[in-house]
Amino acid sequence: MSRAELLSMTGLTLQVALVATAFALPFALALAYTLARRDFPGKPLVQALLALPMVLPPVAVGIALLLALGRRGPLGPLWSLLDVELVFSWWAAAIAAAIVGFPLLVRACEQAFADVDPRLERVSRSLGVGRWQTFWRVTLPLARRGVLYGVVLAFSRALGEFGATAIVAGILPGRTETLALGIYSRVQLGDDAGALTLCGASFVLALSAMLVAETWLRRPRRRFEGPGA
Amino acid sequence: MRRRTPAALCAAASFVVIGLLAAKAPAELRIGAASSLREPLGAIAALFAGEPGGASAEIAFGASSVLAVQIRAGAPIDLLLAADARIAEQLAGEGLTEPPVPFASNRLVVVASRDLPPVIHGPGDLARPEVRRIAIPEHAVPVGRYARDWLRRHGLETALAPRVVRTEHARATLSAVDQGHAELAIVYASDARLARSARVVLEIPAAEQPTIAYAGAVVRGSREAPAARAFLRFLADPRAVARLSQAGLHPPPHTLQTGPHPPPQALQTGPHPPPPDPP
Repeated sequence: MSRAELLSMTGLTLQVALVATAFALPFALALAYTLARRDFPGKPLVQALLALPMVLPPVAVGIALLLALGRRGPLGPLWSLLDVELVFSWWAAAIAAAIVGFPLLVRACEQAFADVDPRLERVSRSLGVGRWQTFWRVTLPLARRGVLYGVVLAFSRALGEFGATAIVAGILPGRTETLALGIYSRVQLGDDAGALTLCGASFVLALSAMLVAETWLRRPRRRFEGPGA
Repeated sequence: MRRRTPAALCAAASFVVIGLLAAKAPAELRIGAASSLREPLGAIAALFAGEPGGASAEIAFGASSVLAVQIRAGAPIDLLLAADARIAEQLAGEGLTEPPVPFASNRLVVVASRDLPPVIHGPGDLARPEVRRIAIPEHAVPVGRYARDWLRRHGLETALAPRVVRTEHARATLSAVDQGHAELAIVYASDARLARSARVVLEIPAAEQPTIAYAGAVVRGSREAPAARAFLRFLADPRAVARLSQAGLHPPPHTLQTGPHPPPQALQTGPHPPPPDPP
């Protein structure tokens, strides 16, 4: 395997994971905040449904996405009208990764928001600060650590996403072949050395992501709770 | 601070817009090909791009059965190159593709791990006690079906059933024997070439070989149908045939014996000439 091939696969994997996480984050924040602050009938059902992409077989998620994004699926006329081809594009890989990582992101954010004392929000509101401003200036900064943790978890999950991606993004060398897909196709072709190289690259990426998380996630603790905490 | 929310929403919206723009279909030939074609097909596609009337091709690799699911969902594929002619015929039967054209064939061989003493001299030896595990893919995998048919032919299917290790696909079957997890496996001759330590112990005679045909089919309604048909014809070009045979694949069978209708009539109904006879 050439160095260019390895670099482009690593780049694509990072690109897919970054876009997937960025795409999922606004939705996850809104959902997590609602779940942490409000009780409503059927909340356990919503939470159970949200966990599905994580616990379903990834291939099942892939089939569902293939039907949703395919031109012969129920939304097919829409994609034809817009003249977009999401299936077999790297966007499909990003969407698959976003969906599979979404439960991790929501869970972590929900926990982080639940840990923020609602009284602090009430104080902010009583001082005349609006709901949105309170969220951005009080809740989110206090929940930052947990949210970032969720971001890193979802990002790391996206780095390794395979099952749903293989179905909906296909294995197109140079276009949708991420490290995880590359490892699989090389094992299938009997190219064990190539597969091992890609495993090494995956290992480095995953480890770096987790290391960055450790560094980032520790800093707020010192700042907010003091060095003695 | 107040501006941040709209900014985040704009960012999310622009992701969607950029995504839709970036996902505009590229105007080139899109091929869905069986994973086992990865080695030869890259070179063949490069040759085809340089031909008069050729086109550059983008290839999605996967199990033929998965490619069929993708085609049914409307995935952007102009030409399917399946490792199992039956899958292509089924899609043609559903009206999704034009009639398939065989372009290569494969053979079955029995491989043994290096731990197995040289005791296999004929099909009957597969039931010897030294053979504790035999790796065969699931029935849904074509090579699994071929292998079981061949075992049944020799009355061995029931006797060997308790020793069968079900593997996920053809390559995993070879790995099982290469790594000593099974003493024997029934694999494609093209895969057997890639063995590390396993060796071919039994060549299955031509008369007993199942028809293992690789077949190509142009997806109906595809924008690049002329280029897809040209690519399918190009697979019979001597340069393409040479690449396929380097990958352990043989010229196509004269007829496809998978459908209920009698070949070769079935093959000549398509817009393509049948591939030339092997020399």
